[in-house]
Amino acid sequence: MSNNMAKIADARKTVEQLKLEVNIERMMVSKAAADLMAYCEAHAKEDPLVTPVPSSENPFREKKLFCVIL
Amino acid sequence: MERPRFTPKMSRCLHQVAEKVEGLGQFVMKTRRTLKGHGNKVLCMDWCKDKRRIVSSSQDGKVIVWDAFTTNKEHAVTMPCTWVMACAYAPSGCAVACGGLDNKCSVYPLSLDKNENLAAKKKSVAMHTNYLSACSFTNSDMQILTSSGDGTCALWDVESGQLLQSFHGHAADVLCLDLAPSETGNTFVSGGCDKKANVWDMRSGQCIQSFETHESDINSVRYYPSGDAFASGSDDATCRLYDLRADREVAIYSKESIIFGVSSVDFSLSGRLLFGGYNDYTINVWDVLKGTRVSILFGHENRVSTLRVSPDGTAFCTGSWDHTLRIWA
Repeated sequence: MSNNMAKIADARKTVEQLKLEVNIERMMVSKAAADLMAYCEAHAKEDPLVTPVPSSENPFREKKLFCVIL
Repeated sequence: MERPRFTPKMSRCLHQVAEKVEGLGQFVMKTRRTLKGHGNKVLCMDWCKDKRRIVSSSQDGKVIVWDAFTTNKEHAVTMPCTWVMACAYAPSGCAVACGGLDNKCSVYPLSLDKNENLAAKKKSVAMHTNYLSACSFTNSDMQILTSSGDGTCALWDVESGQLLQSFHGHAADVLCLDLAPSETGNTFVSGGCDKKANVWDMRSGQCIQSFETHESDINSVRYYPSGDAFASGSDDATCRLYDLRADREVAIYSKESIIFGVSSVDFSLSGRLLFGGYNDYTINVWDVLKGTRVSILFGHENRVSTLRVSPDGTAFCTGSWDHTLRIWA
């Protein structure tokens, strides 16, 4: 008996959640995708893995040895 | 009724819209540092905002803070449990949080005095009823967000250990979480064994959006840098991109030859590249817009379990079941 009650309670919760979600405004994928592309384009120059920077500017790539002062 | 499979041939997906975008140039990345010191599987890692320090945690019960430039170990803490599945660096760089099979998240302030016993200053913050799978400080050192095998996420005050908000809605273990970039407001996304990725309002505790297209556990979620989308990695061997304003999956990153699960994903600074760490020991690098694989990186000798891009985007770090961490640049 209580198992059924639990299932009903769960189903009620799901319905409430779905009611909340049904009202959100949804953008067209074509517009959303265009925005993602625009963001990539706008930030491409600052992205060292997309627009390579000289090795000397990448601390992991330069061959200089780091001295640890003990 | 069979659920329709999402394929790039369907209209209105990101790859279709991005068809005319210029392809990326040749992509070369190599292991530049190997961090050795853990005695067992590396399970998690996080970067410090200073772009050179890293915290890692392992099945061996140890949490280590490294200087990634020099590969020196700066701090080491032995946890009272094995399987420390989660660790995070505080925004100030002055503390780290970690936890796992102990069901807790504890914060350790990092002392400048290397001889000081860090374990003595440990502060227990979060208490779950099952393992801690992920943790993250919010914008300050004052609050921590956690996810757990008990199916919930929770927000805690570090100072008092008080539970500020709990997040219920996953039907099984929650495996991962990521906070939205600060400009986009107080939300975070979580992924779990119920194959769902949920977006939550941190103040109300409400689940505001939910996505269920993966076919297996979601091991990793990461916001796109603009905050308008997030990527996920799953045991179903795919990575997917969900756009929050369109409220749907807009891209899938998969290949027939890739059959092992994705443990961890992260974006490059501009969001153009998606790095995925896989259970077949490799890292696959994806062109986020075009959906093609740009590169496959080899080096680890066991599963890649964790992957994070550095704060300035010049490198990324991976941790593996082969006991090591690698810095790639």
